[in-house]
Amino acid sequence: MTFRPKLLRSLTVGGATFGTAVTLAACSAATSAAPPGKVVAVGAENEYANVISQIGGPYVQVTAIESNPNTDPHTFEASPKVAQVVSAAQLVVQNGVGYDTYMNTIESGSPNPKRKVIDVQDLLGLPEDTANPHLWYDPTTMPAVARAVAADLSKLQPAHAAYFQASATTFVKSLDPWLADIAKVKDTFPGAPVATTEPVGDYMLQAAGTDDLTPWSFSADVMNGVDTTPQDNSFQESLFNQHKVKVFVYNQQVTNSITRLLLSLAHEDHIPVVGVYETMPVPGYDYQSWMEAETTALYQALASGRSTEKL
Amino acid sequence: MNGLSANVVFEAGFFSSSPVHVALVAGGMVAVMSGVVGVFTVVRGQSFAGHAFSDMDTTGGSAAFLLGVGTLWGFLAVAVAAAGAMELLGVERRRGRDVATGVVLGAALGVAALLLFWDTTVSSTTGATTTILFGSLFTISGATVPATVAFSLAILAAASVSYRPLLFSSLSAEMARVRGVPVRLVGAGFLLMLALAVALSAITVGAILSTALLIGPAATALRLTRRPAAAMGAAAGIGLLGVWSGILVAYDSAQWPGHHGWPASFCVVAVIFVLYLVADLQGWTRAKRTATGQDRMARGG
Repeated sequence: MTFRPKLLRSLTVGGATFGTAVTLAACSAATSAAPPGKVVAVGAENEYANVISQIGGPYVQVTAIESNPNTDPHTFEASPKVAQVVSAAQLVVQNGVGYDTYMNTIESGSPNPKRKVIDVQDLLGLPEDTANPHLWYDPTTMPAVARAVAADLSKLQPAHAAYFQASATTFVKSLDPWLADIAKVKDTFPGAPVATTEPVGDYMLQAAGTDDLTPWSFSADVMNGVDTTPQDNSFQESLFNQHKVKVFVYNQQVTNSITRLLLSLAHEDHIPVVGVYETMPVPGYDYQSWMEAETTALYQALASGRSTEKL
Repeated sequence: MNGLSANVVFEAGFFSSSPVHVALVAGGMVAVMSGVVGVFTVVRGQSFAGHAFSDMDTTGGSAAFLLGVGTLWGFLAVAVAAAGAMELLGVERRRGRDVATGVVLGAALGVAALLLFWDTTVSSTTGATTTILFGSLFTISGATVPATVAFSLAILAAASVSYRPLLFSSLSAEMARVRGVPVRLVGAGFLLMLALAVALSAITVGAILSTALLIGPAATALRLTRRPAAAMGAAAGIGLLGVWSGILVAYDSAQWPGHHGWPASFCVVAVIFVLYLVADLQGWTRAKRTATGQDRMARGG
């Protein structure tokens, strides 16, 4: 059997580090008892796992459940091993908005009153009918997550509370270059017309003041894995044929025949492409550098028509 | 007035939409070809073989997705392999082997389930399951369109070239053999034709529904006429009507309130089924009328 199931990969993910000497200690040994002095934590998506590891430093052992950049997390199926990892965790960060519902199922299946669960949807006070679940592209999301993680870690390990609070402050401050990049796009190219395949990067595109011309019904259909309507397909094609958009923002993890068709159309019409992701591309990135790379790619596409199809 | 009624039937942009053009051409071509092959299939009593191919195609389509090649090529490759295997094993001729056939088909669908699982866990193939099982008529693209048209034309050409011996051996294998028709060869050739027809039909309405497009119009046509050539023409027409009106309904449904777009394959199969029911009902009332007439005559006499 040459296939490596996705879970194995997600459990052996190499942690991307940034600045600090933090490593994402994620391996299949995570299922065994916690090493002394470490909080066992789980991030349902590897971007959340990365933030936990940045806040917790040497005092946490973090596992990411979803981290394969070649798969679509919307179609993720949890295995018994995932259940084992999650039920052993003391701290869990999950997205919510129906994106990782399997986490709720596993958590209620292995009740643990001491386990702390940060549901990002609840943390941000978002309603159940929030249309776009890709909260991590919103610049306001991770500062709130970092502070919540620091607060929960401080409760689990009061002795290191000062360390966690300091890392949270450092983390929030480290997002400044990204925020500056977003502001630069907004100021230089106000209302830049863009097309997308799927809503993953929409919060960033909104923050950068772009004008997303793709109909919501199209991106929602792609996200939900159903056929897009011929009307929407024609409209998307016209955005390229008639050069109505400056950038094509392409979700590399949610692709189907129509997104691939649009990609080749964008190539033909010389519309620069920016690849965006559901999970943090590893190795080589942490949350901040990933977001900065996306925004820089958007800026370069608008400024010089340069494509960054893959990170 | 004319413009108004046209707008009611055809939602805005129907005739200028390129996905609609592609669907009308590829789907229409497949419908005509399926009508012709379908009549032979029904006459020869090989509907079950057609269904077997559609199960196998599910596996082929899933494998194609996993390998990153067009679904059509997966369907076609499996079709040829399955036709060869069926011919060699003589599954078609031996009665009482339905259990073995059922088990093999079940296993093929099981493999498809595994391949579809891998599709979503090792590569980003969103919507693969829907596309393979139920078709994505509005997203056929690239080399698939000319290939679909070319294969359909080739099958139609093969059917017209072998029309007489094929029909003869379908209606009475014994008589055909006596008259010197190579019945086994013709049968093998038709099995291949059937497998390819199912594969092409799978591109239009999906692997699982492909026999609906193959058998539905043919069965309806054979209720209207018993003359083979006329039945083939009628089946092609019914298939074309089903596919085209299915495309129209699917297109229009995007504008209906509360919903955005029904799957084209549902609309196609629904139209074909309704036509079958109408033909069935008509045949039934006609039979009843004749029966009552005979009854009256009998009583009168």
